[in-house]
Amino acid sequence: MTRTAGRSNPVTGSTMTRGRWIGLAVAAAAFTVPCVVEFPGLSVEGHRVFSIFLAAVVLWITEAVPLHATATIIIFLEILLVSDKAILATPEGFTPPSYRTFFATLAAPVLMLFLGGFFLAHGAAKFNLDRNLARVFLRPFGTSSRMILLGLIGITAVFSMFMSNTATTATMMAVVLPIIAQLPPGDRMRTGLALSIPIAANVGGMGTPIGTPPNAIAIGALSQAGINLGFLQWMLMAVPFVLIILAVVWLLLGRFYGFAGKTITLSIDSTFNTTRQAKIFYVVFAGTILLWLTEGIHGMTSSVVGFVPVVVLLSTRVFSSKDLQSIQWHVLWLVAGGIALGVGVGKTGLDGWLLGLIQWGEMSPVAILAMLSVVALVLSTVISNSATANLIVPLAMTLSVSEGITISPIVAAVFVAIGSSLAMALPISTPPNAVAMSTGAVRTKDMVVIGALVGAFGLTVFLLFGQWFWSAVGVLP
Amino acid sequence: MNRVTILCVEDEPEVRDALVRDLDAFAAVFRIEAAEDAEDALTVVQECAAARDPIGLILCDHMLPGKLGADLLVELKDKPETAPARKVLVTGQAGLEDTIKAVNNADLDHYIAKPWTREALHDVVRKYLTDYVIDEIDDLLPYVSLLDGPRLLEAQKDRSPHE
Repeated sequence: MTRTAGRSNPVTGSTMTRGRWIGLAVAAAAFTVPCVVEFPGLSVEGHRVFSIFLAAVVLWITEAVPLHATATIIIFLEILLVSDKAILATPEGFTPPSYRTFFATLAAPVLMLFLGGFFLAHGAAKFNLDRNLARVFLRPFGTSSRMILLGLIGITAVFSMFMSNTATTATMMAVVLPIIAQLPPGDRMRTGLALSIPIAANVGGMGTPIGTPPNAIAIGALSQAGINLGFLQWMLMAVPFVLIILAVVWLLLGRFYGFAGKTITLSIDSTFNTTRQAKIFYVVFAGTILLWLTEGIHGMTSSVVGFVPVVVLLSTRVFSSKDLQSIQWHVLWLVAGGIALGVGVGKTGLDGWLLGLIQWGEMSPVAILAMLSVVALVLSTVISNSATANLIVPLAMTLSVSEGITISPIVAAVFVAIGSSLAMALPISTPPNAVAMSTGAVRTKDMVVIGALVGAFGLTVFLLFGQWFWSAVGVLP
Repeated sequence: MNRVTILCVEDEPEVRDALVRDLDAFAAVFRIEAAEDAEDALTVVQECAAARDPIGLILCDHMLPGKLGADLLVELKDKPETAPARKVLVTGQAGLEDTIKAVNNADLDHYIAKPWTREALHDVVRKYLTDYVIDEIDDLLPYVSLLDGPRLLEAQKDRSPHE
C-alpha cells in the first residue's frame, strides 16, 4: 500500500526552531571573536581557524544544525579561509594547504575502514544474522537469570565491536523487551536487564577500531601524523580492559537488581537465512574480520581491508544500490569534519597556541592523561561522543608531541576516544542510553548511578594500567 | 505540538465514550479526539493541523448522520492532513459494497466489527499506530513502551542520531 513517500509529512516535518536560531547566532558571534580580538602570539591564519574552531564548538554543543552539517561547514570554511583557494588573501610566510587536503578528508582511509564496518553491520541486519547469532550464542547460558545477564552483556559487547553501539542496543533490546514485559512491574530485574544492554554496547564499542566513531577519529588523527595503528593492535589495547569493565558491570547489576536465584526463559524466534546471497554475505563477513585480524601476515592495512566487503558485496549484487544508499554516510562525514578540523588546527599553529595557555610541563604524564580523558568524559556526557573526540583529539595529539611532554601520541589519542565512550551517565549521553530509557523500565536515577560508576571505574582502570599494559604487549615502543 | 492523534468518529454518545475509554491506555503519548459526525470530524482535523498534531489513526463508525463513514474516509484520504493516517472502520452495519468502496478508495486498513473487545481494539490500534509512526515520524523512541517495541527498535536502527 502506498501512502506519502517517507517521512515528509507537512504536519510533522522538522524545521528550524527558535532554539536552533539562537544556537546559530551564538555560533556566529563566537566566529567573530577572533576576527575582532587579536590574540598575542597567534598567527593571522591561526586566528581564522580559531574562528572556525569556536563556531564548531558552539554548533556541536547546541546542535543548532545537525552534527554532520557542522562537519561540512568546517571543511567549507577552511577551504574559503586558509587553503590555496581561499577567498581572503593568506598572509605571507604561510604556505596554505591545498583545498584538496580538506575535501580529501571526506574519503580519508579511516572512513573506508568504517565504511567496511557499516557494510558488515548493514548486511548482518539485512540477513538477520545479528538476531540468529544472538539466539545461538545465548543458548549455552541456560535459564539462570545471572547467567542470562552475563550472556546478554557478553553478546551485546561483542556485537557492538563490529556494529554501531546504537544498532546493537536496538537489536538486543528487541530480544530483551519480551522478557521485561513478562516480569511484574515492580521487579528490579527489569531495570537491570534494560540497563545491561546500553552499558555493554557502550563499553564493547571501545573494543575495535570500527566499534564507535571516536575510535575512528583517534585512528584518523594518528594516521595524519604518520602513525598506523592496526586493527589487532587496537583490540589488544582495548579488549582486556573491556572484559574487566564488563565483569564489574555484571557483578554490579547482578548484585543490586535482584538477579540471584531466579530463572528467565528466553525465546528468540529466528532462523538462519540460507539464500545464496546470504551465504555469500556470511563468507564475506567472516573473511573481512579474519583479514582485519591478520594484518601482520598479509600486510593489507585495515582501511584497505575495509574496502573488501564494499567491493565484493556490490560486485556480487548481494548489496543493491538501495543498500548502498542506506549506509549511514552522515556518520562518516562527521568523522571527516573532525579530521579536517585537526588538519586546520595543526597547519596554522593554532594547536600549539591553544596548548600554550596551560603550563603542561609541570604536570606528570598521568595527570595530563587524566585531565584529557576526564574532560572528554565530562564533555561527552552532555554532547555527542564523536563531537567530543573531534574537538579534543587534535589537541591531545599536539600536546603529546610538545616539548617536555613524554606521552606517546597513540596513548593520548586513545585515551580521548576511551574517555568519550565511557560517558554514559545521562539519558542524553549517548543514543544507546536513550533506547534504554524508551523501554520505560529504567529511571534516570538508576542510569546516573550505574553509568557514573561504570565510567569512573573504567577510566580509573585505564589510567592505572593502560600505559603499563600497552608497553608490556608491545603496542607502545 | 507534534502529538500524534487518534480520531474517533461515532455518533452515539455511549458508544463514543466507550471507545474513548478503551483507548485510555494510549492517552499518555497520543492525543485522543472524538467527533460525532463527518462535519465535526473535519473540524477536529483542522484543529489538529493548526496545533501541528498529525492524525495517525482514524477509527470511524459507518452509519453516521448525513454522511456514511466509508465516504468520510474517502474524503479524508484525499486531504493532505489525513492522507497518511491509518484508517479503521468500526461498525456492525457496513455492507459489502460500502466496505469494498472503503478498501479501494480510502486505503481502509482494517475492519472492526461491533461489539469489539478491549484487547482486540488494543491490538489493532497498536499495530496500525506502529505502522504510522515508522512511516511518518523520525524519532520512534517515545513510542517503544506503548506500541510494538521490538518492531520500532528495528526501524530505529537506521535513523539514530550520532553516537
